[in-house]
Amino acid sequence: MTMIEALRGLTYYKGVPLWRHALVIQWALQIISGVVVVVLVTTFFTNISNTIQDREIPHGFSFLSREYQTPIGQHFLPYESSDTFRYAFGVAATNTIVVSIVGVILATALGIVVGVARISGNWLVSRTSLIYIEIFRNVPLLVQLFFWFYMVLALPPVRQGYVIADRIYINNGGLSLPWPWPSNRDAAWVWLAVVLASLIAAVVLHHALTRREVLTGRPSYPLITGSVTAVATAVVGWLFVSAAFGDSPFAISVPAPQGAFGRIAGGFTISGGLMALLTGLVIYTSSFIAEIVRAGIQSVGRGQMEAARSLGLAPMAALRHVTFPQALRVIIPPLISQFLNLTKNSSLAGAIGYSDLANVAKTMTQTAPAVSIYILLAAAYLAMSLTYSLIGNLYNRSIRLVGN
Amino acid sequence: MASATGTPPGVSLPPPITERGGVGWAYANLFGNWYNTVLTFLYAAFLVLAFWFGLRWIALEADWQVIATLGGRLIIGQYNTEFACPGQNCFWRPQVSLLLVSVLLGMVWAVSRDTAAKRIAIGVAAVTVAFAFLPYSMDRMGLDVRLLLAANLPAVAAGRVLARYTPLGTVRWIAILGVLVFLVILVLVRGLPGIPGLQPVSTTYWGGLMLNLLLAVTGITLSLPIGIALALGRRSSLPLVKLLCVVFIEIMRGMPLITLLFMSQVLVPLAFPQDFSSNSLFRAGVILTLFSSAYMAENIRGGLQALHPGQVEAARALGLAGWQTTLLISLPQAIRNVIPAIVGQFISLFKDTLLVYIIGMLDVVEFSRAFIQGNAEYLASARELFLFLALVFWIFTYTMSYVSRRVEQHLRVGQR
Repeated sequence: MTMIEALRGLTYYKGVPLWRHALVIQWALQIISGVVVVVLVTTFFTNISNTIQDREIPHGFSFLSREYQTPIGQHFLPYESSDTFRYAFGVAATNTIVVSIVGVILATALGIVVGVARISGNWLVSRTSLIYIEIFRNVPLLVQLFFWFYMVLALPPVRQGYVIADRIYINNGGLSLPWPWPSNRDAAWVWLAVVLASLIAAVVLHHALTRREVLTGRPSYPLITGSVTAVATAVVGWLFVSAAFGDSPFAISVPAPQGAFGRIAGGFTISGGLMALLTGLVIYTSSFIAEIVRAGIQSVGRGQMEAARSLGLAPMAALRHVTFPQALRVIIPPLISQFLNLTKNSSLAGAIGYSDLANVAKTMTQTAPAVSIYILLAAAYLAMSLTYSLIGNLYNRSIRLVGN
Repeated sequence: MASATGTPPGVSLPPPITERGGVGWAYANLFGNWYNTVLTFLYAAFLVLAFWFGLRWIALEADWQVIATLGGRLIIGQYNTEFACPGQNCFWRPQVSLLLVSVLLGMVWAVSRDTAAKRIAIGVAAVTVAFAFLPYSMDRMGLDVRLLLAANLPAVAAGRVLARYTPLGTVRWIAILGVLVFLVILVLVRGLPGIPGLQPVSTTYWGGLMLNLLLAVTGITLSLPIGIALALGRRSSLPLVKLLCVVFIEIMRGMPLITLLFMSQVLVPLAFPQDFSSNSLFRAGVILTLFSSAYMAENIRGGLQALHPGQVEAARALGLAGWQTTLLISLPQAIRNVIPAIVGQFISLFKDTLLVYIIGMLDVVEFSRAFIQGNAEYLASARELFLFLALVFWIFTYTMSYVSRRVEQHLRVGQR
């Protein structure tokens, strides 16, 4: 009897049986889930490493300094087939980053225009942008990309292509634009440094003059002074650098047809795949951004606009100084996650023949250990998402309501 | 006081013509001030031009023959080809699956208080019956398939009668029947070895819109509960559980789906070198579900965070246990508040099912692309084909957001 009593006492803690005690349940849950996950992950990786050893699959990261020996379609960094895997990976990552940055800028601009048009008082304008949003948001991006891709393919060939003002060429090979290429590399770097310094000086000047205007009430023209300073420094810097190096830092190269086949040389050519990719990504993402912008502007109370108007602000001034700054607080977090989506969606580029990071990595797995490449790929994408989140969080903090 | 020209007292004049009727509407919405007028004219000119060229292209220049050529293969892909289903016509199996769905839709129509269910049921029946009379030039599509397609209309009616006059007409029974129908469809499409007429069709040959729909339905039904579990785990006070959920969610959200799918194709067979891992449809389903549930978890977490803490406190004060508070108080309110976000995630899951092309599955878009690639004479019709696919997907996704809006109206979100 006493034995059973003692056993019963052992299974009770503070009057509650152990199997119903919150503390015990919580700890058991944590330990069980932890053990399950650890076992799963170790099994997964042990199995992989065993299989790799059994089948003698190459592994490790030594391949990085080998030659990649595969061409990459369009690239923004100089690239030869004899370059290493490491460099090729960087070239592909740059391709993704360029698409991401250009796409983000264009999609934001278009999205703001469509979003503001959506709440326009003009019925025709707001209906058109509603239809735009409903169409492009609801059709899968891949279908849109294929559509634009086959649109580009349906453009006339090089010799019958469209020419705008003898400067811009549009044909099924892509879009060729005049482009400032550096004619003297050292001079270009020096001049870019001068421009950067002048921009910093202009921003500092703008801040100081604005402060003076606010504190003293005397008109100080911060915007005009700042921009004049920046432009003047850049122009003077250009003249000085040209004189010092005996060569201008940048020269504008105009594309022109060359040879028997009329191939376009010079300038900067955006390949058909990149054109279709950017068009599709920008239109698709802008329809989401438009909805975010609309919701943000509508989230600002109607009284704000009315108060601004009754204080005598013009409609545009009221939008710029009263409504928009408040709407930004609502707009920024979802906007950042759209930027991230655009970056991740650019991995569909492989389907229409643009060499982005995911596509090149997929090709690399044919000649290099797949597991190592996936680790690199995952790290690269996670780094990009973390960068965007970081920028978003920093911005969010800077516009946060005081005291919140 | 009233002068000779003034209005006699007690008589109210109608509002001026610029304030009422069509003129008033046009004045307020189109020609209110000079820049509105300019905008209206510019837009009208642009729209007229766009419609003129667009309609001319659709009616005269575009060649829609490619869609009739592909016909039913857009819906089932390679499913009914000779090497997928040797010596038999297997088209009836997806068709019967569609009939079962029609019966369910009819039942929902009978039970639902909303007109949305009625519209969708009638729409599905009408479209399928219309397809039965289209002149296809496709392989192995005989009279029996046309009869099965036309049978969708009586199937909807049968479902309606079933729900009206039998005890099956409750939401609970329809949910149970829905799960049963889904399992029956899986068995029907997969086939059973040893039964004549139901010979197994390898999942390699599943394709077309059928594949997109199967993946989407599986993903939607599974990602909601997994997402809820992850969201609760992320808000849990247990540090280890919270850590695991955060790591899982952030990894899934940080990478493109296409990369995850491709990784699964290479890594899973390395880790589990058994038979089940060679089934790429199964792997695609698992990855899609997990990917979607990470996003779902964040949506639900948003709903939980927006909930007033007083709700939980009141529930605890009334003596509800922890799990009761979560299941009966927090979750229902949190989910109701984020229905648009959840349906948005369903829609993007449906759109993401296209990405299975990366692991070599022929869904409707990849099937079309491969067809264009392999038949150069259709290269010029690629735009027509992808416009048609865009329309098909648009109808599905728009229907989903339409249903979500109706559900929201019924739950009266935003009126509290």
